[in-house]
Amino acid sequence: MASVIVSFELSGREVEVMVKPMTTLQAVLRTQLGHTAVKDGCRQGGCGSCTVLVDGEPMLSCLLPVQDIAGRRVTTVEGLTPAEGLHPIQKAFLEANGFQCGYCTPGMVLLAKALLDHNPEPGRDEIVDALAGNACRCTGYDPIIEAISKAAATAAAGAAR
Amino acid sequence: MTVSHYYLPASVPEALGLLGAHGPELLVIAGGTVAMPLINEGISLPVRVMGLRRAGLDGIERTGDELRIGATATLTGLLALDAIPMLREAAARVAGWSVRNMATVGGNLFTPPPGGDVATALLALGARAVVTGPAGDREVPLAGFWTGFMTNDLASDELLTGIVVPLEPGRATCVKFGRKQANTPAVVTVAVHLAMDEDGETVRTARIALGAAGPHPVRMARAEAALAGTRLEPAAIAESAAAAAADCEPFTDAVASEWYRRRMVAVFVGRALTVLAQPASPASGRGA
Repeated sequence: MASVIVSFELSGREVEVMVKPMTTLQAVLRTQLGHTAVKDGCRQGGCGSCTVLVDGEPMLSCLLPVQDIAGRRVTTVEGLTPAEGLHPIQKAFLEANGFQCGYCTPGMVLLAKALLDHNPEPGRDEIVDALAGNACRCTGYDPIIEAISKAAATAAAGAAR
Repeated sequence: MTVSHYYLPASVPEALGLLGAHGPELLVIAGGTVAMPLINEGISLPVRVMGLRRAGLDGIERTGDELRIGATATLTGLLALDAIPMLREAAARVAGWSVRNMATVGGNLFTPPPGGDVATALLALGARAVVTGPAGDREVPLAGFWTGFMTNDLASDELLTGIVVPLEPGRATCVKFGRKQANTPAVVTVAVHLAMDEDGETVRTARIALGAAGPHPVRMARAEAALAGTRLEPAAIAESAAAAAADCEPFTDAVASEWYRRRMVAVFVGRALTVLAQPASPASGRGA
């Protein structure tokens, strides 16, 4: 069937793709735009590894037809990472050993970004609640929770200076 | 990918036009959290699909003593709602943050068991579905909305456009029991609304709804009747819980067996009513 053209903002850049009807944002990001930090985990909305931010809010790109987000702003870890070095949340994950195999990490980092944007000083329960939909089979979650606490504390210290 | 046409109507009339033209063969989706996994797996192979994300149905407004929730308002939208704390409790226990940002209140009415926690809460709140068709709107009490497993009162040219929830004084709670604390399907979900007599202590009427204990969210008539005129004494609670366990129609799936679910219906109807038997306090978050 006829393809359609969809444009949206990807990490600060206007992009335009041609897709078959109802192609998922996940497929577009991975196979057409090279944003492979967006993982292809369960395609069921069950693992969170394909999490992206749409207008700053976390959503699962495997459940999202790209046509639904035409004109909206999509952020992936590729977009979060500065040209030089790492984003403070990424640094905090490194320092706290917030990953082992790394498969869940892009989703976790984006959730952390959205959480800290909403709530710059989240308590442990609020961090746990924010992460509840994203699976990590390596870390046991504690290092991830610590990483996000660290990122929050670092940002707060930076703001206080 | 088998989909030949994916429509994204920008208004209800446009959506109704598409339904009229393609009727039963048109798969309607909103948040995609139920339909997309089936499509991704190739279990569902729709040819024509209509997505409602741009149809302008995501508003939530309070008018007098009613709350009107657009069919595509998200579960995250419910979490911001102060009017009915019980709805917030129900939405907070569904899946994870990203799913709640996508899943819609209307879509929850079409979620097969053991899903449908919010639908169960809405049923206990005495909500009505707003169904829009070529002849205009009609309202269907949720108690009559479902007709069987994955079947409902909608005609093929009609669309669920909203849900109306009466803001009735009383006591209400929604308790979900799953295998984990979060992001988990229900073993059973129990939602209760109690209208109290003027003394504030005696139950006038009760609505008890169960999720994951039948082909769709169900009201438990005998369990409700067992509470009328009582002050939620332990014996009344026990009688109500036993009636719910006897009357429900649980099923076996990967989450729990029929045997276990039936026993948990008794336990969690009892717990929900026990919570509501405590004197109301502003901090309890269980006002209706």
